[in-house]
Amino acid sequence: MGSFPHRYRAVALAAGALLITTSACSTPDAGGGGGDGAAAEGPFTIGVSNGFVGSEWREQMLTTLEEAFATYQEEGVVDDLVVESADVDVNGQIQQIRNLVNSGVDAIIVNPNSPTALNEVFAEAAEQGIEIIAIDQAVSSEHVTNVVIDQGEWAAISARWLAEEVGEGGRIIAVNGVDGHPANEARWEGASAVFDEAGVEVVANDFADWDQATGQQVTQNLLASHPDVDGVFVQDGMALGAFQALEAEGLTDEVAITGEARVGFMKRWAEQREADPDYSSIGVPNPPSGSVSALHIAVRLLQGEEFAPDTLDGNTLYLPMPETVTDENFDERFAEVEGEADTYAVDHAITPEEADAYFQ
Amino acid sequence: MSAPAPTAAPPPATRRVSRALLATRMPSAATAALLVVAVTASALMQHNFFTPYGLTSNFATILPVATIAVAQTIVVLAGGIDLSIGTIVTLSSVVAVQLMDGDPGRVPLALAAGLATGAACGLLNGLVVAVLRLQPIVATFASSYVFGGLALLVLPTPGGTVPAEITGGYRQVIALLLPVPAVLLLVLWLAWRLLRAHRIGQYLYAVGGNAGASYASAVPVARVRVFSYTAGGTVAALAGIALLANSGSGDPFIGNELTLGSIAALVIGGTRLSGGAGGAGGAILGAIVLTLIQNLVFFAGVPTNARELVNGAIIIVAIALAGLLTARGGTSDGGRGRS
Repeated sequence: MGSFPHRYRAVALAAGALLITTSACSTPDAGGGGGDGAAAEGPFTIGVSNGFVGSEWREQMLTTLEEAFATYQEEGVVDDLVVESADVDVNGQIQQIRNLVNSGVDAIIVNPNSPTALNEVFAEAAEQGIEIIAIDQAVSSEHVTNVVIDQGEWAAISARWLAEEVGEGGRIIAVNGVDGHPANEARWEGASAVFDEAGVEVVANDFADWDQATGQQVTQNLLASHPDVDGVFVQDGMALGAFQALEAEGLTDEVAITGEARVGFMKRWAEQREADPDYSSIGVPNPPSGSVSALHIAVRLLQGEEFAPDTLDGNTLYLPMPETVTDENFDERFAEVEGEADTYAVDHAITPEEADAYFQ
Repeated sequence: MSAPAPTAAPPPATRRVSRALLATRMPSAATAALLVVAVTASALMQHNFFTPYGLTSNFATILPVATIAVAQTIVVLAGGIDLSIGTIVTLSSVVAVQLMDGDPGRVPLALAAGLATGAACGLLNGLVVAVLRLQPIVATFASSYVFGGLALLVLPTPGGTVPAEITGGYRQVIALLLPVPAVLLLVLWLAWRLLRAHRIGQYLYAVGGNAGASYASAVPVARVRVFSYTAGGTVAALAGIALLANSGSGDPFIGNELTLGSIAALVIGGTRLSGGAGGAGGAILGAIVLTLIQNLVFFAGVPTNARELVNGAIIIVAIALAGLLTARGGTSDGGRGRS
């Protein structure tokens, strides 16, 4: 093919032209919409990006947020809540956030699908003058304020209870959420540190995607291969399923299981208590209304308020851990939520006054 | 095979190149119409569509999708299909991000390794399909688990850093209105035109159009098939690098869900799924249309729970429209895309 050198020449020319033009390039300036920096008047538009649907927890997260938003709306502080919520991967969530930026929101509340892979799009949004708050799990971007509970401590509370139940040398199986998911990693890190220290042996560890049916299946499989375990460590959203797997094997009395602060599991817990007053479990709430806490923070940031010193740990504001459901306070806590649907998660959000306390 | 070039006196090389570039087979009228509709609607509904950020953000989203669509097109044209293409994207990107790890000095090595990974995955697929003669749809479905699993071994949890030079450069705007991702898209298309003009490009169409006749005409069918998967894998690796520039970090699942989108994009772009007709230009337009439709559903204010439904319905209509008109165009073309 004698024509090759010419083709290369054409390509080289094009590449050269490209290089020359590149020297005259720039990053896009701010101005696509968004706040005007400090102390804006409002009313503000708030965007929400949620990358995982089909879980009641996320549904509750959005519903409670909409209710709290309506209150601010009546006060004239905010005007529109723009929600992007779909099952998306990282690319899809990048697209969600770009859409929110392009629709001119002032702040974005995001439940991130990745701790790091959204950082660049967060930088884009920040450059357009948008406040960004991550909920449920923390991200590493300096442009984002994380408003989350400490997931490691969340798991450690259950783990300490379980370690106590099975004792030193106890053997347990673990049913975790989604492999590689940031909240899952933080939780397992917190829990396994407790087990190591207490001399509890984790004989098997598997993942059930925070889904009750999968949780039941996975627990069943783990029990089949490890029939002689003393305990089950299971994260929320799967504990009812894991409990049912134990029940099917007739092991509920012998094998201790970490529970969850959700109505479905609490109903079974109540039954067990009735049959056996010594039955013990634990449920650490993971409040979906972290979204509401984040809204309080977002509004104050948009109004130009500044965090009080020592409020943030890096770029993270750790919300207070909601009170754990224990054998001692069970009756009282169960009475509060008994009327809710089985999927309802025991909830907690900071009040506007508590939010004020985080600011100067 | 039926290309007239071998018998006719070869025209001067420069003219041949320019002719190849100019005489682009227009993607079917349907694709063009869809593009016009999508762009017009976007300009009306997204108030900052033609601002620098509006353009950059859209092209930054489109480039990875369009690149993987081009990769799939190369495979489909030659009569194959690659269901592992999303995981090839993932594996190449995690290999690259692990090697660069935020150090600009290691970028060339990391990019080369990423491309080599993509090519190797494609080569493996090609050998399994062309030499072992397994059904492409099943073979590549199986290999998708191999590549996806390898990606998890290379990068078990999300992480790794892409140097700011790459992520920043990806977001640059040339001369106020020309985003870098748009330029890269153009370069990708030009590269495709060069491949298309080359003999191997003709072979892709020949093998995909009629493998038996191609074999009888001394086209090395098996080698062309292997080439198509290898080239597809290499382009998929480019998509993986675009994803890295877009996200700034590695993720062991980042490309996996792009496979079906790549097939939808090429069908909207007028490429025949059974092979032999179509082209990468159409796939690029198809990817643009697909992305804009997703955005439009948002900007039109469709309630969030209904968006996937509406989005899916519009895509079905788009594919049906593209399919109808391409089918007609296809027969009048003699089933083979004219260059």
